[in-house]
Amino acid sequence: MIEVRNVTKTYGKKSGAFVALDDVSFTIPDGASVAIVGKSGSGKSTLMHAMSGLDRPEKGEILVDGIDILKLKQKAVDTFRSQKIGFIFQAFFVQANETSFENVALPLEIGKYSASARKKRVLAALRVVGLSDKEKQKARNLSGGQKQRLAIARAIVNNPRIIFADEPTGNLDTATGATVEKLLFGLNKQGGSTLVIVTHDEELAAKCDIKIYIKDGKVEKIQKGKK
Amino acid sequence: MKTFDIIRRAGRSLGNAKVRTILTSLSIGVGAFTLTLAIAAGEGARQYANTLLTTNIDPQVLAIAKDPSFFQGGQTGPQEYDPNASLLQRAAGRTVVKQLTQADIDGIAARSDIESVSPSYTINAQYITRPGQKKYTADVTQYDAGVTQTVAGGALPALRTQIKDTEIALPEAYVNLLGFNSAADAIGKTVTIHLERNPSLTQEQIQTAVTQGAAALEQLAKPELKDAEYTIVAIVGKSATALSATSNVQVSDAQAKMLSEFSTIGTSSFQRYNIATASVKQGTDPATVKDALVKDKGYGVQTAKDLQGLLFTIVNVLQGIVFGFGILALITSVFGIINTQYISVLERTREIGLMKALGMRGRHVSRLFQFEAAWIGFLGGVIGSALAIGAGLLLNPWITSLLTLGDGNYLLIFQPIPIAILIIVLMIIAMIAGYLPARRAAKLDPIEALRTE
Repeated sequence: MIEVRNVTKTYGKKSGAFVALDDVSFTIPDGASVAIVGKSGSGKSTLMHAMSGLDRPEKGEILVDGIDILKLKQKAVDTFRSQKIGFIFQAFFVQANETSFENVALPLEIGKYSASARKKRVLAALRVVGLSDKEKQKARNLSGGQKQRLAIARAIVNNPRIIFADEPTGNLDTATGATVEKLLFGLNKQGGSTLVIVTHDEELAAKCDIKIYIKDGKVEKIQKGKK
Repeated sequence: MKTFDIIRRAGRSLGNAKVRTILTSLSIGVGAFTLTLAIAAGEGARQYANTLLTTNIDPQVLAIAKDPSFFQGGQTGPQEYDPNASLLQRAAGRTVVKQLTQADIDGIAARSDIESVSPSYTINAQYITRPGQKKYTADVTQYDAGVTQTVAGGALPALRTQIKDTEIALPEAYVNLLGFNSAADAIGKTVTIHLERNPSLTQEQIQTAVTQGAAALEQLAKPELKDAEYTIVAIVGKSATALSATSNVQVSDAQAKMLSEFSTIGTSSFQRYNIATASVKQGTDPATVKDALVKDKGYGVQTAKDLQGLLFTIVNVLQGIVFGFGILALITSVFGIINTQYISVLERTREIGLMKALGMRGRHVSRLFQFEAAWIGFLGGVIGSALAIGAGLLLNPWITSLLTLGDGNYLLIFQPIPIAILIIVLMIIAMIAGYLPARRAAKLDPIEALRTE
């Protein structure tokens, strides 16, 4: 369960201060698919950064499985991200000059898995996203859709509790976007991990269990249940 | 992240930027090249000096002086006044160097650990000649049985054996001067050494002579003459591995003593010696004898090893100069590494951001970049030392003939351990150079780094 309580994040000093998040509160149950919807500049990315421990809002609490990640030391936050969080980005951020295997292995290397455990998990993750045959290919030789599937394999390889996806289909055409969506929601239903999608795409948001609308750093409305 | 994985990842990142990696490595390679050559030349020079000493000098030999300052250039500050010191020594304006007396020599000879001792005799020979030839000046010394000499003609006895009392060894220069056709031609021929001595007269003798008239006075003032004849046993030549290409005419120990005493009898220099060479019995360490002599008698003593140390000091100074240039090249390459790594951090902002977002600790990111720098140092060290070894192996025969070092002697000697140490040191230097860029990478904010626009 993720509980966000009265989170406020301000950028800049007094006169030029900009409130990115203003007293944001909500709760996400385990295994849910959640869409954080808003226009660019609404604060939805800042919210994702705060929930994943990348950013530290100055006020409020973010409880993940009962632990306030805002009170953790840097080392513990790093460990939290390495063990419990998976990231998928709009621009994929796969290492072009590394092979698919090496890309997916990165979170496991950071998590200090042994070489044999890494191999097992990486191959399993590549199988899930359907890239088993691309194991030894350099990522630069993959298509956009394949790159995002590779990024998904990297996000799920360490079996995280929460997967954050920032505009996961934003750089893909409709057909490949649909494949990636299907993969993400399928994993969410089967794996039991919580899926948090940050998007401005209403169609994608409509497919999620919970939709949190953010406007000017505030929660505008929360919709539960699919249409 | 495990250290091994970081090292592997660092190597892989460098592999992805091959040209840049190799160019940066080459800059550190220049330093490695110079340093490897400096180390090799130093080692070669030391080995060469060692060869010189071991083939030339009996390791059992000690050089003994009355005064320890003799071996330190005489610079030990003012000395106690000694009425026995010769006027000449005092007039020279230098510190008076005390001399060994016959009693000192006898005392050393009486020691159970000394096989033989021979003082270095001062011989004031007027000239050397042979029938039908001109007269030439000559520095006559006693034959040194503790040093190997190269012969151009004839033969010398083995190390530690004296030449006979009737024999003489001449340097090559006298072959033509004394009218021989060749070195071989000179062997077995006879030469004469001429000495003169001014009589030391008593007041009484002079007074008597004055009363007897001018003829008696002239008779009295006439120098005493001595002509010693010797058979040439060897012509001493020059050699690459000979320590001192001697220009002295050499006679046996006993003859040298006789000739020396002829010209010094009645003077303050009689049986006074600056230095003596003693041969320590086989099986006894010369160093222990040295210590005993220094402790008991206060003599200045040098062993063959001390002489080696002296030569090594010279080698070390020369090596230090070449080393200095290598260090300069290294300092230059340090800035190259810093520059390259800064560019690398800038280029890989996204990658660093991603790694940090995925939970990689700042310390580990920093280590990743430092290990990359260490790899560059390693590559530079390997490239530089390999080139140096290659160049050294190619140039060695040429250097040997240019410096006439003698066959089988090489100036550049490469040894694995110093080169391995050099490479490790280069890696450490590269890591230190990579510190600032690595810290910058570690401090990178992942949110900033991953911003798409």
